[in-house]
Amino acid sequence: MGTAVTHAPATEVRAKDPEPRHGPGTPPRPAGLKRRGRRENLAGYLFMSPWIAGFLLLTAGPMAASLYFAFTDYNLFDAPRWIGLDNFSEMFGDPRWRHSVRVTLWYVVVGTPVKLLVALGVALLLAQKRRGQAFYRAAFYAPSLIGASVSVAIVWKAIFSDDAVVDRTQRVFGIDAGGWTGDPDLIIYSLVALTVWQFGAPMVIFLAGLKQVPRELYEAADVDGAGRLRQFWNITLPMISPVLFFNVLLETIHSFQIFSSAYIVGGGAGGNACGPADGSMVYTCYLYVQGFENSRMGLASAMAWMLLVAVALVTAVLFWSQKRWVHYEEGGR
Amino acid sequence: MQQGKGVERRTVLKAAGASLAVTGLGATATACGGGSGSGDGTVTIRYAWWGAEDRARRINKTIDLFEKKYPKIKVKTDFQPYPDFWKKFNTQASGGNPPDVFQNAIGFLRKYDAKNVLLDLKEQVKAGNLRMEGFRAGLDTFGEIDGKLLGVPVGSNSMALVIDKPVYARAGITPDMGWTWDDFDEAMARVRDRTGRAGDSGMYGVMYLYDLYLRQNGKAFFTEDGLGFTETDLTRWWTKAEKGVRSGLFADPKKVAQIKPKSALSAELAGSEFTWDNFTVRYTSEGKSEYGLAPIPTTDGKRTGQYLGSLMLSASKRTQHPVEVAKFIDFMVHDPEVATIMGYDRGVPATTAQYEAYRPTDPVNKAIAAYEESLVEAGVLEPITPHPNGADICEAAFLRIGEELGLGKRSVADAVEQFFNESKTALSS
Repeated sequence: MGTAVTHAPATEVRAKDPEPRHGPGTPPRPAGLKRRGRRENLAGYLFMSPWIAGFLLLTAGPMAASLYFAFTDYNLFDAPRWIGLDNFSEMFGDPRWRHSVRVTLWYVVVGTPVKLLVALGVALLLAQKRRGQAFYRAAFYAPSLIGASVSVAIVWKAIFSDDAVVDRTQRVFGIDAGGWTGDPDLIIYSLVALTVWQFGAPMVIFLAGLKQVPRELYEAADVDGAGRLRQFWNITLPMISPVLFFNVLLETIHSFQIFSSAYIVGGGAGGNACGPADGSMVYTCYLYVQGFENSRMGLASAMAWMLLVAVALVTAVLFWSQKRWVHYEEGGR
Repeated sequence: MQQGKGVERRTVLKAAGASLAVTGLGATATACGGGSGSGDGTVTIRYAWWGAEDRARRINKTIDLFEKKYPKIKVKTDFQPYPDFWKKFNTQASGGNPPDVFQNAIGFLRKYDAKNVLLDLKEQVKAGNLRMEGFRAGLDTFGEIDGKLLGVPVGSNSMALVIDKPVYARAGITPDMGWTWDDFDEAMARVRDRTGRAGDSGMYGVMYLYDLYLRQNGKAFFTEDGLGFTETDLTRWWTKAEKGVRSGLFADPKKVAQIKPKSALSAELAGSEFTWDNFTVRYTSEGKSEYGLAPIPTTDGKRTGQYLGSLMLSASKRTQHPVEVAKFIDFMVHDPEVATIMGYDRGVPATTAQYEAYRPTDPVNKAIAAYEESLVEAGVLEPITPHPNGADICEAAFLRIGEELGLGKRSVADAVEQFFNESKTALSS
């Protein structure tokens, strides 16, 4: 399964091979069929056209435009003015921008590993055969289905605010934090808690990975007298490392893009943009503030491209690192 | 690839083509949704404002009234809290799709005039669709910028110290016109000591209050094109603020942040709050206590630095229905029945017709009328501070950085530096 995921493009190419257009062994097609082939191509493109139009108009076009805006001073109302790299130098010199980078990195570095650990832990529990297993799986996955929604973020804000459930529970233990969402240092942890709670998606992938591990390996290990921990460390972990890699990659990229939960838990209606004293001012929040509050779309575009470059770099490093810790079985089961 | 499938394929193709065409049509139809006019001459205009639930209820009633009188004009409404309103408006306006008519304030006139968003209503006045006669206290020119009429005042308001009356009574404080900042500091301490509540909700971040303080000292928050005060001035203001938060004179900003959009005063975190006098209407509907108005403290025992402010109605330049919009504004500022519905929610009505139509009988609205009368009597009203392009961003930065200072995330020096940096950027663009 893991190999199937990471090598998806390769399998696709191979899948096409069985019926090559003019491959050896197939007689050349007559002219009429050629025309038909062209018509079929046309039909194919027509069928794809909604997607192509959407891609060009809603993705590629705006991206190209934002690349251009990144080098301009643009307030949405007046024509953009070319200013070269000024946006980037302003960005690096802006203490609020640097703060947003720190907040985001903190969120990624703390949130992602914790979320994956929880996901893996629950997956290990759910991989065991027991009664009602399907129910448990559904139940644990449920938060992820609703997790990204605005309403959950609002509920989350209510749970972690002053004199609410979390605060009152804490007080029982003699800790009076006065609510997490009003505290510039604690609010980020309420966001981490929110993302950890949504461990369902990586959990399902882990589960699938665990099912792929051949039973024989465990049986052999049993015979050799290896304990559970040893089995986990020497069999399970290496065998699911491609899945782990996939999850790390996906969740890291996701975490960098966090916006709506930070925006809503941190502010919402009538509040600050992103938390008290910018406590939950993650990167995309600041991008939003510059773009939509301060009408500085040029600067916001530059920030967006900076984020893309940063995420690409992190992804590259992860890919480079997989040589050291990701174990692919030869032959791709 | 058999022969028979060709026919099917063609059918499918046609179907695909048809559905594409339909999608295309759908897109055009949505795009046209903005330009609203239908066969029978009925016109729809969009009206947006900021405010809380209470204001929305009142405004909706006035719209029902308007639609009854002008059956050919339909009004679609939209409202948000103050900061969100402007984000949405800015996006709509830049996309060429702003509401036809909307609530406006002085700090935004130059900004959106520079961006070519506001309609000069002079032409509609000339055409007789909008009457600018019968305004009180010179308010008819309040929304005029460089000879253009960019906003029509709906009511006058002024900054005040809104107090929780029972709390002040328990603390034994009765602020009089001309009381000083020293008296105020003493009052804050008394509220804290005798009622266990903070004296004030966080005055140090309120741009409109600091403006008054500066004006008392011969300065102002803004000049025509920049800030009207120095780093030293602000350092003094915020040093005092920091001490006030630490010693519990001002409400814990952590708690204040968490009860938004409710105010710290109505949530009983503080005994008073500097804000516009008409806010007592909102706080009365929001909170459990009784709210009253106290005068602005002075530096010399006389000058409060106050001026009459006003919320306005503006029209957007791109509206397809300038005539209907003008009639709408005219109705909203002159119709006597509108005044009885709105009360002093947006300030004391701007026109004499509305002012006379609504004689407050309840203590809250009576107090607002009495407050504004007392300002006139004391002769403390002065001309308004200019609000250059970028004033709104400075206002937001002042509030935010003030909050960071209160939360202890910034030192005074750091906060002052950050504010001056941000305002310089905002005022130069």
